[in-house]
Order: sequence, then structure tokens, then C-alpha cells
Amino acid sequence: MAAQVAASRGFGLGRPGWRAKREVVRTVFLARIKIITRYKGAILMEALLPIVFAAMPVLLGITVAAQQGGGADPGDLFCAKTKINNLCTTNFKLYMLLGAATFTVVSLMLWLIGYWVRREQETGTLESLYLAPVRRIWVLAGVTSYAFLRAMIAFVIAIALGSLLFQVNPFNSGMGLAIVFLAIGFLPLWGLAFMFGAFIMKIKEADSVIQVLQWILAFLMGVFYPITLLPGYMQAVAGTFPPTVMTDGVRASILNISFIYQSAYGSLAVLCAMALVVPLLGYQVFEVTERRLRRKEGVGHY
Amino acid sequence: MSKKKILEFSRYPIAFVALFVQIFLIIAMFLYASLAFTPQGSDPTAGRQVGAQIVYGFVIGLFLSFTLWDIGFSIREEQTRGTLESLYLSPASKFASLLARVFAILIWVGALAVFAILFVGAVVGGLPLQNAGLALVVLVFSVSGFLGIAFIFAGVTIKLKETAQFLVSFLQFFFMIFSAQFFPFSALRQASPLIVDGVSRWLPVSYSVDVFRSVLIGQTPELGPSMEVELLIVVLFGILSPIVGYWTYNRLERGARTAGTLGEY
Repeated sequence: MAAQVAASRGFGLGRPGWRAKREVVRTVFLARIKIITRYKGAILMEALLPIVFAAMPVLLGITVAAQQGGGADPGDLFCAKTKINNLCTTNFKLYMLLGAATFTVVSLMLWLIGYWVRREQETGTLESLYLAPVRRIWVLAGVTSYAFLRAMIAFVIAIALGSLLFQVNPFNSGMGLAIVFLAIGFLPLWGLAFMFGAFIMKIKEADSVIQVLQWILAFLMGVFYPITLLPGYMQAVAGTFPPTVMTDGVRASILNISFIYQSAYGSLAVLCAMALVVPLLGYQVFEVTERRLRRKEGVGHY
Repeated sequence: MSKKKILEFSRYPIAFVALFVQIFLIIAMFLYASLAFTPQGSDPTAGRQVGAQIVYGFVIGLFLSFTLWDIGFSIREEQTRGTLESLYLSPASKFASLLARVFAILIWVGALAVFAILFVGAVVGGLPLQNAGLALVVLVFSVSGFLGIAFIFAGVTIKLKETAQFLVSFLQFFFMIFSAQFFPFSALRQASPLIVDGVSRWLPVSYSVDVFRSVLIGQTPELGPSMEVELLIVVLFGILSPIVGYWTYNRLERGARTAGTLGEY
């Protein structure tokens, strides 16, 4: 019976059905999870990183306040300098923690996809992957799902542990809205991750590029400051960048401060538009890049 | 080995440029973070002081993280490529082989540090720069001390393999916070005096940061009782750390050779 089905489908030329596609996503996902469970230190580091990352500007803020003299309170100084539409927060510790945790999510999503492409290139399995009778989107879906899970684990641990350490409470208000921003924000992140993967596939030097892009991201996202502190042209660029809107939304929801697009509705509308356009654009870029590479030197070169 | 490293670096020009850009982005981000706390029309001298605290601590941090990363990472690379075992069969000095791994990157980090200081100086309108000669001596002894820690990590990399990388990452951030690389120790003390008295004071790296910064800014050091005592600690760190580090490395390496795990990864 199985042989008959195989013959009728043309010995491997048949298109895989939904069950097979789901299996591909599951297999890729499980393979990645299995690999990472061998490196528990990596998961721990990812969770601790945002806390360390947030601690630095917090301590820097305390230093700046001390330099001003007169027992200036860093929270008051931060509030005065970052006030937008008469809204600001004195809870600069939570501001930094949320920024750093969201940045870790963004950074991990891009890093894990980019590094996956590079790793497959280096180990010589990327070309073999292209010979498998499955569309790339399902393989990528498996990898991105894994990246999503890993990023969320880091986010949750970082917020929980960071809140204890900095003695802040992120659950005072707006947590539901913040989760909505985070959930919608993941979709454009997927798109960006595809673009990033394509870029790595083309230029090949993953480590250095990932690192520098990571800091460009952090700079534009306003991890430690509102983007209104940036020069006008940078604000314009940063405002069209999905991670900026996501970070801003998460922070504004919880800390009850001004949204980048004036209101939660405005920011959500922009993020939803990005969630529609960026993943499609990202996958398109990925496909075009790999097609070009296959026509020229092939995807196996590294 | 140094030539090989330089040749390898020259093959990846994008990595070089990326590293350069990365340094400026990190500094710019922290400068903006400090700007978020700086009131309008505040005294520019305070801004310069903060800029100096950030960049001078950052310079020490740069040397520390590159020394730690480069030796461990380079050993790991040899392990995964399968050339580590063959390297140990060659009649070359193992100490020279270890040292050569960081030689090229240290020159590059030196250049990066100069540009970082110039960049911050330009942004904040000049930095205090006193006793540059003494600061250079402090830097030399500090880097020598960092090499000792890096030797230990080279040994740990042979033993722990991939996990050692996470350990180095952790240490890098540990020193970043507890050795107050981006802020003065007074900020840590404000968070909790226990952090300074219970942790920072016991780390030689903290004294490197404190002395280097204090000498250049022209202020009294924060950790020790006097500048002389802190200078002595840094000099001793610079002399003893490589000896202890290399001894530890030798023990770990011998252990791996006895167990036959040197080539494993």
C-alpha cells in the first residue's frame, strides 16, 4: 500500500501534506531543544544577562545623580529628563529592566536564527538541507519557534529575578497590554530574523556582524532611554523599527508613560501593520537571497 | 603563532570594522543612558567627570574581556578544528604559544582604547587626563594580571570545553559590575555597602580599575586606604597572577593529557 502511494506520488516528487509539514517543524524544534539542553550554562547566562545589562545604567544613574550634588534623587532626575506629554516615571530601575529584558528577546531571536544559518554552513549541512523534499519555510518555522521559546524563557526568568533584585514590581498595572505588545511584536521579529538569516548566508561572517547589529539594535531601540533623546533623524529611523515600538509598548503599558505613537491604540496599530508586512518581506528577502546564492556559488560555501 | 593570528585577522576585515563600530556604539549607548539622568543646563564639569568614569573603566574592561576571551576561545578553536593535540606534540614553548594568542588582539585593543577616549572626550568636551605615564604603567601590570586569569581559563577550557565559554561570559559581566567598570564604587556602595566590602575589595581587577581611573582623573582612589597601597596591589597582581595562572594551566593541561581528553571536544 505504502509502495503504491509512493509510486503514485512519483517517488519523492509528491508534495508533503500538512502532517508532514508539522512533523518537519516539530523535528527541527526538538533537535534544537535537544542541543541546547546540553548547554545549560547558556540558558542561565541568557537569563542573567538582562539583569547585568540593566544594573549598569541603574548604577550609572545613581552616579550622575550624585555628581549633581544636593542629594538629587536619580528617579526624579530621570523623570524630569524623560517626560513626554507630561507623563514620566521615577521607577528607572524597572524602566531599565524592561528595556534590557525586551532587548534580550530581540537579540536572541536574531542571534539564534543568524547563528543557525552560519552553523549549518560551517558544518556543511545547509546544502543537504536544501535537498530535503520540504519547503524552507517549515524548517525556518521550527528554528524560529525554538528561538521564541528560548527567548521567552530568558525574558520571564530575567523579569522575575530582576524584579526581586531591584525590588520593583512589574505587575502593578498594564501587564496584559504589555503581553499583547510582546506577542504582536514577535511577528515582525520573525521577519527581521529571516532577513538577518539571509544577510548572514550572503556575507558569511556571522559573529562580528551579529555583535555589531546587536548594539545598533540596542542603540536604536532605546533600551536605556526614550528615543526622544536621540537626534531627530535617528528618532525617525528608530520609530519605524519594530523592536523599538515593541519595547516602547511593553514599557509604556507597565510604567504608565507616553507611547511612541501617542497612545496604546496608535502604537498597536503600527505594530500590527509591521506584523503583517515584515514577516512576508523577510521571507521574500530570504528566498531571493538563497535563490541568488544557489545560482552562483551555492549555499555550501563558507 | 602571532603571525598566524594577525594573518587570520587580516582575512576578516569586516570583523575588524565591526569590532570598532561596536565599541563606539556601546559607549554612545551608555552616554545616552547617563544623559537621561542629566538635568538641562547642568554643570559640564560633572558631565566630563561621568564621561571619564565611564571610559577609563571601559578601557580596563576592554583589555580584560579581550584577554579572557581570546585565549580561551583560541584554545577552543584548536580543539574543534582538531589541531590542539598536534600542537602539543611540537617542540614549541607552551607559554609562548599561549601568550602569542593574545598578542595581536592586545595591540588592536590598545588602538581601540585610544579612539574610545578620544571619542568620549570629543562628546563631553574634554576629559581629565593626568599622570598618563603612571596610568600606562598601571595598565601594563593590569594586563599582565589579566593574562594570569586568562591562562587559568585556557586550562578550564581544555577541561570544561564548551561550558568554559559561558563561564568566561559570566566572569566578564561579573567583573563589569563588581569591579565597577562603568561607574564609581560609590554607586555600588549606595546600592549596598556589602557589595563593595564583601566582593569588590577582594578582586584584584577592582584595584586595576580604581587606580587607573583615579590616576587619570586625579582623584583619591575609592577602595584602598591610599594610592600607594592600591598601586602595590596592582603591581603584585601583575607579577603573581601570570605565575599562578600558568601553573594552574599546566596542571589542568597535564590532567587532560593523562586522561587522554586533550583532543576531545
